[in-house]
Amino acid sequence: MKLIIIDYGSGNLRSVENAFLNSINENNLKCKIEVTNNLNTISNADYFVLPGVGSYPDCKKGMQSSVGLIDVLSEQVLYKKKKFLGICVGMQLMFDYSLEKSRTSGLGWLSGSFNKINTVGLDYLGRNFKVPHMGWNSLNLEYTNHPILKNISNKDQYYFVHSYFLKTNQTKQIIASTDYCHQIPAIVGKENYLGVQFHPEKSSLSGQKLISNWLKWNI
Amino acid sequence: MLSTRVIACLDVHEGRTVKGINFVDLKDAGDPVEQANLYSKTGADEICFLDISATHEKRKTMFDVISKTAESCFVPLTVGGGVNNLEDFSQLLKCGADKVSVNTAAVSNPNIIRQSSDKFGNQCVVLAIDAIENKVMPCGYEVTTHGGRKRTNVDVLNWASQGVKNGAGEILLTSMNADGMKTGYNLHLTKIISENVSVPIIASGGAGNPRDMVDVVLKSGASAVLAASIFHFGIHSIFSVKKEMLKNGIHVRDCEN
Repeated sequence: MKLIIIDYGSGNLRSVENAFLNSINENNLKCKIEVTNNLNTISNADYFVLPGVGSYPDCKKGMQSSVGLIDVLSEQVLYKKKKFLGICVGMQLMFDYSLEKSRTSGLGWLSGSFNKINTVGLDYLGRNFKVPHMGWNSLNLEYTNHPILKNISNKDQYYFVHSYFLKTNQTKQIIASTDYCHQIPAIVGKENYLGVQFHPEKSSLSGQKLISNWLKWNI
Repeated sequence: MLSTRVIACLDVHEGRTVKGINFVDLKDAGDPVEQANLYSKTGADEICFLDISATHEKRKTMFDVISKTAESCFVPLTVGGGVNNLEDFSQLLKCGADKVSVNTAAVSNPNIIRQSSDKFGNQCVVLAIDAIENKVMPCGYEVTTHGGRKRTNVDVLNWASQGVKNGAGEILLTSMNADGMKTGYNLHLTKIISENVSVPIIASGGAGNPRDMVDVVLKSGASAVLAASIFHFGIHSIFSVKKEMLKNGIHVRDCEN
């Protein structure tokens, strides 16, 4: 099997590669990783990870500057039904649009938009809510029998860092959520494509568990 | 519920940690990679490397330290010390750092905060402020640079607010008066800044025991606590800090003894 980490100029590719490589080795999986934006390589691969750090408009611009990337990736995921994982801004790009800086359209694979976290009130210790939502948070599991959640409980915590959160009417798309001022969708998806608002590659053992689940997931 | 973070900081000089950890299970007490791994295994929510190498040449060893750490240490990694321009930023991120902290360079060139957050996103830009008491300043504290050796005549709260406006995603706030004293964080300073800026504040400087960490969260509203020396000598572990925090109603990420 071949896993592509899509390189469109966004940051922490190295961290994502390290974490997936570790999970592949720990589980003795037969899977090779390539970090690329080469369309031929993408068309012939089996799984895709779309990382993303930075602002939504910049990430979208980065994807667009690889000519043909969005079309090829959409074809592989939506029509050829290949396994896909979007991380952080990579997850956000799967939706209709974001209001970060200015309204920027996404890939539109899932329905919803991203709005700034609205910090009202104080937290349980009387502190102001800060933006970005930064740090380790636990999950409320909505679909406990989804393969991505195998052996994951509300005791597992994941590393989040984001200022915009998903608003959607399609609650069926939400596999797990987290609480920070609002209820924030944390794992979303449909059929063969999933997205996570947090960084599994930076979430220690809980992150490794989730990455392994995704790698072993038979669609 | 969001956990309050406990961050372990390592001072690195020419690729070696300056204050080694006095733990028996370390083969090499001066190896920052091994120490970072041990900290992350024992529950550190983030690792912070502070490069105190004197020259630019020797700073290059830091890239190697970060690359190696990022291969096996799957928690967020912040690197600071001697970051002067966008090129430094870019190289540190490429090696596997998740956040870069800027201190002196931000004072001599305030644009670096805006430029780096525009280019890499505000989630990876940490404004490090070394504050020293000065009653003449509106908030009572003055920004210093060069590890506290140079005064700037800039008010800490003003500076923090401006940094956030320019795109800093987080503030690492060190009290130079408390640093190394082990008498507790500067609660007054931390409270002023955390109540008046919108981004998370990491309290730093002065931690002597787990109770100090509880106090700066409960009394000053810190989002995260950072310590270096109290962890290094094995007197207090990250586990004992988290246990104390939990006992006082502060939500933390589980860790093993």
